[in-house]
Amino acid sequence: MRLDIRRSLMNDPWFLSGALLGLVLAFLAGAGPWLAQYNPHDMRFPPFTPPSSDHWLGINDGGMDIFSELLYGMRNTVWFGLATGVSALCIGVLVGMACAWFRGVTDQVLMRLAEILLAIPAVMILILAAAFFRPSSWMLSMVLAALSWPTIAKAVRAQALVVRKTLHIQAARQMGASGGYILLRHMVPELFPLYLIGFAAKARMAMFMEASLSFLGLFDPSRKSLGMMIRYALPYYYLDIWWNWLLPPIFCLTLLIMSVTFLAVSLEKVFDPRLKEAL
Amino acid sequence: MNVAMDHWSVIYREKEHALLALDQVGLHLFPGRITALVGESGSGKTTLGKSLMGLLPGSAETKGRIRLDGQEMAGADEAAWNKIRWSKIAMLFQNGPANLNPVHRVLDQVAEPLLQHALVSRAEATAEAEKALFRMKLSPDQIRRFPHELSGGEIQRALLAMTLILEPPMVILDEPTAALDAMTKGFVSRIILEARDQGKTILLITHDLDLAGKMADEAVVLYLGQVMETLPGKDLLVNPYHPYTLALGRSYPSMEMHRDLGGIRGDAFYRIAHRHPERNGAVRPHTHVIGAETAHEDGHLHPKGCLFQSRCTQSIPVCLEKGVPLMEAGHHRVRCLRGGIAVQLELQQVEKRYGNLTALGPTDLRLRAGETFCLVGETGSGKTTLAMIAAGILHPDQGHRRFEGRDMDHWIRESYRTLAGKIGVIYQNPADAVSHRFSVFDIVAEPLKIQKRYPDKESIRRRVLEVLSDVRLPTETAFLQRYPHELNMGALQRVCIARALVSGPTLLVADEPTSSLDPSVQAKVLKRILDLQIEKGLTLLFITHDLGVARKIGDRLGVLLAGKLVEAGPTAQVMRRPAHPYTALLIESARGQIPAASAGTNAPPVTGCPFAPTCHCAGKDCLTRFPETTRMEKDRRLVRCHYPLHSDSPGADPGASGSDEMKTGLGAG
Repeated sequence: MRLDIRRSLMNDPWFLSGALLGLVLAFLAGAGPWLAQYNPHDMRFPPFTPPSSDHWLGINDGGMDIFSELLYGMRNTVWFGLATGVSALCIGVLVGMACAWFRGVTDQVLMRLAEILLAIPAVMILILAAAFFRPSSWMLSMVLAALSWPTIAKAVRAQALVVRKTLHIQAARQMGASGGYILLRHMVPELFPLYLIGFAAKARMAMFMEASLSFLGLFDPSRKSLGMMIRYALPYYYLDIWWNWLLPPIFCLTLLIMSVTFLAVSLEKVFDPRLKEAL
Repeated sequence: MNVAMDHWSVIYREKEHALLALDQVGLHLFPGRITALVGESGSGKTTLGKSLMGLLPGSAETKGRIRLDGQEMAGADEAAWNKIRWSKIAMLFQNGPANLNPVHRVLDQVAEPLLQHALVSRAEATAEAEKALFRMKLSPDQIRRFPHELSGGEIQRALLAMTLILEPPMVILDEPTAALDAMTKGFVSRIILEARDQGKTILLITHDLDLAGKMADEAVVLYLGQVMETLPGKDLLVNPYHPYTLALGRSYPSMEMHRDLGGIRGDAFYRIAHRHPERNGAVRPHTHVIGAETAHEDGHLHPKGCLFQSRCTQSIPVCLEKGVPLMEAGHHRVRCLRGGIAVQLELQQVEKRYGNLTALGPTDLRLRAGETFCLVGETGSGKTTLAMIAAGILHPDQGHRRFEGRDMDHWIRESYRTLAGKIGVIYQNPADAVSHRFSVFDIVAEPLKIQKRYPDKESIRRRVLEVLSDVRLPTETAFLQRYPHELNMGALQRVCIARALVSGPTLLVADEPTSSLDPSVQAKVLKRILDLQIEKGLTLLFITHDLGVARKIGDRLGVLLAGKLVEAGPTAQVMRRPAHPYTALLIESARGQIPAASAGTNAPPVTGCPFAPTCHCAGKDCLTRFPETTRMEKDRRLVRCHYPLHSDSPGADPGASGSDEMKTGLGAG
């Protein structure tokens, strides 16, 4: 079964293109501080300089190197997406497993809470929180995670309810295994595909959200971000600098989201038949 | 003739070695009764027979007493024996033709005892011998031939005529039917029964357990010169109490059994006592059991322990420490510290409901150590429920469970893991029963890791390799690292069997373990399970819907119908003469016959027998009242039917049931 999955992933163009794109972008974001020639906060260059060999994407209105800004902005966006994805996944898996394991009151309470959160639009809460409390980006990422776990939790719970009845878990129970052992050795690994899908979906959503919020100017203005670059470039679109200032952040953002989406689509395609079958 | 043998020991001595042929044997024979002496080769059967004829070689040392009609014969001289031989006690020796003189005609040889002992003329003796040989259905032509001109069966009949020619009140028959064809065997058997009816005392020494079981009033089971069990002949194959008798019965290809041949683990050829210097220089007299595989060092017997201990599958440490006397147990006398075959699992009135649905009605089940009980029934008849209750996985709503004499529910609460190690479970579908994220090693080692039975990884690994080779799987590292999807179903099911066995269970619950396998793999897996049962003495609760499988492996069979045990008993008997119409239908269907009545019904009666609407012999009360349990054949069988196809077998004596303490039967259900 494992081999089948690996083989079908390797033959899937969605997965291959998503992974390739993701790797390149992750490299750019990860190695940003070393790739950037200049400090993105440095305002000593002449504004609106067109691209040259010194400044690959030119200089913006504030006298900052756009290429350096782009690398740092992407880094922030990726981190935000990863952090939110991981946090949402952790909360979702914990809650979902707890519901499936304890059932009864725990299940009822947590699932109702999840439904409430599903009904509340996350963007609204985030805009309000950002506007009123001016939290750090980490804080915002946690808030977003705290709002977006329910879909993961619901999927994990549904799947875990099926898995806990499977024969090999019954067998482990017969051998005298404790609850902790069964959860850690049998149930948590069994739902692995779900985590990938859930994480990809949440990370994509978070990156898009981060760009939107910073475009709206709801983030710390000193923090470099793709959304903010778009926001600052937009007023000068008549200056014929759109291709070196406006386009790159839009392009990067699109590629980032595309890469994660491709991965998510391909993972879902591969794992879903099994999930549907099990459900 | 009354024969009383008390504390009779025979030792063959040769230099410093002493072969213990008989050890404190007590045996009482009465007129008009057949006593069968059974046991493996080397158990001392023939020595015992010869003792009663005073034919032991001079090198034999004897102890104890033998009284023939009150006359003390131990230590009697040849003259005293000569008065008794032939006229009072005659013996038919084994290896037929070797007992006849090749240069004399058969007729003359048969007449010889008459001439020697009856003081008659040669003509009278020949006429008498002629008559006796004609009774044995030998032709006038045949009786005048030389021994080498006759067939084995004819010689055996001639010898029997010779043995009986002086009408001795006591006859010892050593393997009278060995190497005989079935027809001759039947003829010889009838002659023996006639002799019994004439009031002769008969000692039947035989390997033929069928013959012993059918003919003997009492069977005496000898093992290495000790009596292990004495029991009514009828019980020999179907209701033994001693593990040795059970194993012996399983090794015998009886027409009454369908189960595949078992055998007894290990070997024991004879038992010797000797003295020789040990490693530490001390000289200590000690006894050995000599077998095929025992090296001198590990053949040492504990000076006091049970002789069968090393081959016994239910032995406990005490078996090494204490000598065991023969103990009374119902109609049997058993030499076993554990009082005979132990009860492994006892379910009393266990019951399971899911809401309105009764998955299992109140059911009794008693499994004896080392036996195979097959549960058959349709899907949804409660087989799996009963099995899971027996395995301790499901908790019954009502009723009691006892495992190895302890309250099972209490045990589960106290320390479930110690109980879990004693019960192995094999599940129906091997692919689902293991996690696909575990390698073969992880799967097999899982119970050990969970139950924390081994202190370190190395000993876990050793145990895993051991159990893998037990189920005939490779033990190299490459195989241990394989994942389930890389194995075929047969190998995977064997991995599951290895997992079930790794913690050394005493009870193996197998829920349709072979239903997902193809016939050739099924055959291999079943064979392996049965072999392991012989080696380890596993008690097997085997769930199947396949009567063919049940017939091949089961000692006993239980039929479940809509959560109720409607019939149970020894597999062969149930198969041959089913008492419940439903069982009969199941067997018919399994034989491939299309049943006359359409099986199954849309609305089975709520209160009555679920089978009533389709049953061809159902009466009115079948629809309204579910019948009580009827016991049959000395409690060995039970049936729940108002109109069973037959109520009791003609051979069974109904009076003897009830008081038996160790009945194999299942109690009232």
